[in-house]
Amino acid sequence: MNIETATHPAEIAMQSPFEQELAMLIVTALHLEISPAEIEPVAPLFGDGLGLDSIDALELALAISREFGLELKSDDDRNRAIFANLRALADHVETHRTK
Amino acid sequence: MQQSIPLVDRPADAVLFRLPGRAITAAEFAADARQLADTLPGAPYAANLCTGRYAFAVGFAAALLRGQVSLLTNDRSPDRLRDLLARFPGAIALADGADTGPLPGVTVPPPGNERARIPGIPADRLAALVFTSGSTGAPLVHAKRWGALAERNRDGGVAFGMDAAQPATIVGTVPPQHMYGFETTVLLPMHAACSAWCGPAFYPADIRAALAAVPEDRLLVTTPLQLRALLSDATELPALARIISATAPLDNAMAEAAERQWSTIVSEIFGATEVGSIASRRTTDGAEWTPYAQIRLRARDGELLVEAPGADDHALDDFVELLPDGRFRLLGRRSDVVKMGGRRASLAGLNRELAAVDGVEDGVFVPPDADDHRAAARMTAFVVAPGAAAPAILAALRGRIDPVFLPRRIVHVDRLPRNELGKLPASALQALREAP
Repeated sequence: MNIETATHPAEIAMQSPFEQELAMLIVTALHLEISPAEIEPVAPLFGDGLGLDSIDALELALAISREFGLELKSDDDRNRAIFANLRALADHVETHRTK
Repeated sequence: MQQSIPLVDRPADAVLFRLPGRAITAAEFAADARQLADTLPGAPYAANLCTGRYAFAVGFAAALLRGQVSLLTNDRSPDRLRDLLARFPGAIALADGADTGPLPGVTVPPPGNERARIPGIPADRLAALVFTSGSTGAPLVHAKRWGALAERNRDGGVAFGMDAAQPATIVGTVPPQHMYGFETTVLLPMHAACSAWCGPAFYPADIRAALAAVPEDRLLVTTPLQLRALLSDATELPALARIISATAPLDNAMAEAAERQWSTIVSEIFGATEVGSIASRRTTDGAEWTPYAQIRLRARDGELLVEAPGADDHALDDFVELLPDGRFRLLGRRSDVVKMGGRRASLAGLNRELAAVDGVEDGVFVPPDADDHRAAARMTAFVVAPGAAAPAILAALRGRIDPVFLPRRIVHVDRLPRNELGKLPASALQALREAP
């Protein structure tokens, strides 16, 4: 049986070390069947890119809170920008993490 | 003379909606609705795309006053809006910042400070159209008349013991465009002794802040998915009188854990987009559902019909055992309906879309277990498609099915385990799913 991933084709760009760590968390928390390295740092996480939705956002927020001690809120004006792609999310988490 | 039901059946100074730092009374809500209604361009339909709950409520009430039918859709994609305009020519869109695509947009203004007399609205006025996924792909339309919505509000207030002496405050995590969110967080305050929080309430941190910002008795209206997130976060919450869950069955263990952790009562609502909320139960009390006061259930030709005032009879998707005391038990789905993230789809319909994808010779969607509330519990598609790679299949499905049902895994197989009748027995699908 040949299992393929139902996500963006792999076009590997360079991930920073923290982006690698966060990509690993995304793949683990959401049980994605891709390797963390396949998440393009600047490709959209939601919709047409990685294909995540609001159900995933909730799960991801939990994992980020557990791992980095940072709580995401939807009244944050930058919420859409924060979740735009791996790079934006990594910047936000790295800046605001408490552990 | 035609029967009229007031927009709001509460005292003029009763608080209906709560924005961060601002409580809106019945008289103020009526004024905001009246003012917007007076400025709306003439249109038969108004798609309510507002993400803010108060803007949504004002938009709905304004359209109702003007006799414009609200179209409730969660899907704001350009494709969906184009489709809406094609099916409902002349429709406008009410929004609070979102792109209204091809629909002429009207921005719902922020709350004002005027007060107005509460108007009456004919009971048979068509108030809203809501949508469910049909088995053929095109969404099915369900009509909601004002009288039917108002009567269900009264039932809801009774079912949850709402009392004007101690009005409740609802913090809802469900979008107002979803029938469950529409009823419990937009309509209910109009006719039952409660107010609804209209600030953000999605992430656990939002919910905690919202509950802290509102007075007792606090009611959290949510889904199993979000309840699970709150529980796993081990969140401390302000005193909670009750948690109400709907959209998917809540398992007893989760209800018990929530009741223990927050010293509260966990209730569930049973309903469907077509008929709205029709019954409730306290999850830890057992499997029996108590129908709302004005709901009648009647068996006919193997179907169970729901009769509700002002609404068309609706045959339930579920097998139901009616008990002598009027309560009922659910015995499982009658049809091929699959539910996820509060949305429904027909498996046959999804499979048809899959089969229509270029290069797919045969294919089947397999849903996750119904009681799996993890975000990762999504559809898997098994395909016989030597010439089509997973990303191409996914790209073809996107835009044709509700995104929540897009397969998280697409597994290529040499053939599907169809039996001699060409059917895929449940046991064969289970085996497929469990294969490494």
